[in-house]
Amino acid sequence: MALKESEAIVLRTYDLREADLLVTLFTRAEGKVRGVARSAKRSKRRFGGALEPLTYVRAYYEDRERQELARLDSCEVLESPLAAEVSYPRAVALGHVAELLDELLPDREANDTVFRLALSVLAGLRGPDIWMPVTYFELWMTRLMGYLPELSECMVCGRTLNGSRAYFHALADGLMCPEDKRLASSEMSVESRGLAAQMFRAPVESFAGTPWPKRQGADLRKFLIQTLQRHIEKKLVTAGMLERIGT
Amino acid sequence: MSRLIDELKKLPGIGSKSAQRLAFYILRSSDEDAEALAAAVRDVKANLRLCSTCNNITDVDPCVYCSSATRNQRLVCVVEEPTNIAAIEKTKHFNGVYHVLHGSISPLHGIGPEQLRIANLMRRVEGEQVDEVIIATNPTVEGEATAVYLSGQLRRPGLKVTRIAMGIPVGSDIEYADEITMLKAMEGRREL
Repeated sequence: MALKESEAIVLRTYDLREADLLVTLFTRAEGKVRGVARSAKRSKRRFGGALEPLTYVRAYYEDRERQELARLDSCEVLESPLAAEVSYPRAVALGHVAELLDELLPDREANDTVFRLALSVLAGLRGPDIWMPVTYFELWMTRLMGYLPELSECMVCGRTLNGSRAYFHALADGLMCPEDKRLASSEMSVESRGLAAQMFRAPVESFAGTPWPKRQGADLRKFLIQTLQRHIEKKLVTAGMLERIGT
Repeated sequence: MSRLIDELKKLPGIGSKSAQRLAFYILRSSDEDAEALAAAVRDVKANLRLCSTCNNITDVDPCVYCSSATRNQRLVCVVEEPTNIAAIEKTKHFNGVYHVLHGSISPLHGIGPEQLRIANLMRRVEGEQVDEVIIATNPTVEGEATAVYLSGQLRRPGLKVTRIAMGIPVGSDIEYADEITMLKAMEGRREL
């Protein structure tokens, strides 16, 4: 079969046999593709640092007849996360982006919008601040996957929530007004809903440079993670780690 | 026989075919050889433990490096795994001691700094007279995150914290180096 070429983001690698790696790539042309990089552990010549998670590469691969896994021929690094300092918070944030892409995207289904979103968020994660790009990514991924409920009205009575208090619950599919909130609900502030509205209107770069402490939009992130976890029916490993990072 | 094959299959890099081959080899080998293999496996589990100072795998505590009078105990090299020590020892140029973290920060696997053996490194640095800590974690995203985290934790007056160099492997060709390797090589250049 002919060798395919596509821009891609490396999501994860797993050890396979003695010296091979099983690689999950998010390709621009075909969406999420899993492939085997032969001898990638033993010889660094063909892949070098290209198989590090969240490396933006040009990947060359070929599908094999009657086999689910592609054969990864080579990768050319276009942008590496190792080009900037990898602090612990940045490592967790990068891991979070990789985990969300891996868990939410279906196999072999191209999604150029998500690809462009991932690239712009990865660029945003080159700086010291992680909370803005992480919030932006979670919000847009929830929306693009079709899991984001209407944030401006109560899911129970349909009343408009603009300017009034709103609540969310781990087992509910949207926001609730004070009258309809469930027991043990958390509040989502007016400010956070305003931030979400702003993020839907502007690119991630437009928020760069604005100080963004952890507490800003924390309720929004909690709501988004709960929504995503409910849909994928599993806990996101990196969400807990992000939670434990200090301001 | 199938029990032995099943057990051998659990070893890394051993599939069904290899496990079968090994099982038949053991079956055909002499009683002494088979018994020696079983005894070696038993001894490894019974006698080997982690060095209380550096976390290296050892049969004596402290390990040979930590108890050596000829090694520089003020120079500590931090590595991810015990197997990394052998690679550094091969150079025959490092005369310091080691500290094994038993992993690296790996958010995708849920491994944070609290899962690594960092606490006794801090105690070592505070209690002993350490002049320099060399961070020799892998040049990967995970290894880098671990190195940056450790450098922050180890920052104190009088202690030098260094990172091993990264770049072009000896005997290779610059023409084939990827951009990140080349970038690291340029960053880590030294004066001649």
